[in-house]
Amino acid sequence: MSIEKAYILLSILVFLIGLLGVMVRKNLITMLVSTEIMLNGVNLTLVSADRFLGRVDGQILSFFVLTVAAAEVAVGLGLVVSIFRLRGYEGSSEIVHLRD
Amino acid sequence: MEWIVFGTLALWLLGSVIGAILVRNPVHSILFFLSSVLAMAGLFLSLGAELLAGLQIIIYAVAIVVFYVLVITTIPWEKVKRFEGVYAKELAVGFPVVLIAFVLMGYMVVEGDFAQPVGKVEDNVREVGRTLFTSYLFPFEIASVILLVAMIGAILLGRKEE
Repeated sequence: MSIEKAYILLSILVFLIGLLGVMVRKNLITMLVSTEIMLNGVNLTLVSADRFLGRVDGQILSFFVLTVAAAEVAVGLGLVVSIFRLRGYEGSSEIVHLRD
Repeated sequence: MEWIVFGTLALWLLGSVIGAILVRNPVHSILFFLSSVLAMAGLFLSLGAELLAGLQIIIYAVAIVVFYVLVITTIPWEKVKRFEGVYAKELAVGFPVVLIAFVLMGYMVVEGDFAQPVGKVEDNVREVGRTLFTSYLFPFEIASVILLVAMIGAILLGRKEE
């Protein structure tokens, strides 16, 4: 097995562990951390495919993924803070209402 | 030599990622995530993407992790303590699903063939900069608009209600 396949397998594993984290965590903040882990796994795929193909387009795409991750953290944590403030703290299983 | 570097960083990365989704305390989870970001920057360096490794450390390990910790400090701690850890039933159901997905995807990766390399990158940072500011100039400008919209959205969402 070549090392490129090992890199791709590692990134798939990181992505799926992040997906498992989104499924099982109770706390909203740690769910957001798990989505960051998923984005990291995708970045690793792009960069390793990039080295194998001898191009730089994947690195630029993962640069945009970093931008989207920063924006997502700002909006997501703002939402978490407002959920805490409006309704008291709710775990991820208790947010089932779209409005009051 | 490449395999030694890869194995060390991969074990470090997998250990910290699994720790980040399984430890009880949210602050410990964020610290595990910080460790996984550093391992990921090491993997980027070993792949020859120096600019992305630097950006990974600057954006993830500094900005995002600090932002998470700040948000946790603004929330009362007993409210955070009310829901911590993982759902056991969802873990029991989700783990086989994830395992099957990994086996299927891994089978495709191991059996499949990669595309042929199309070129050779001499100077990575120079090449990334040139491509970013020529072919990808318009998405680059759009990214700044996305960041501006996210900033305004975060201000509106985090504002105190009158």
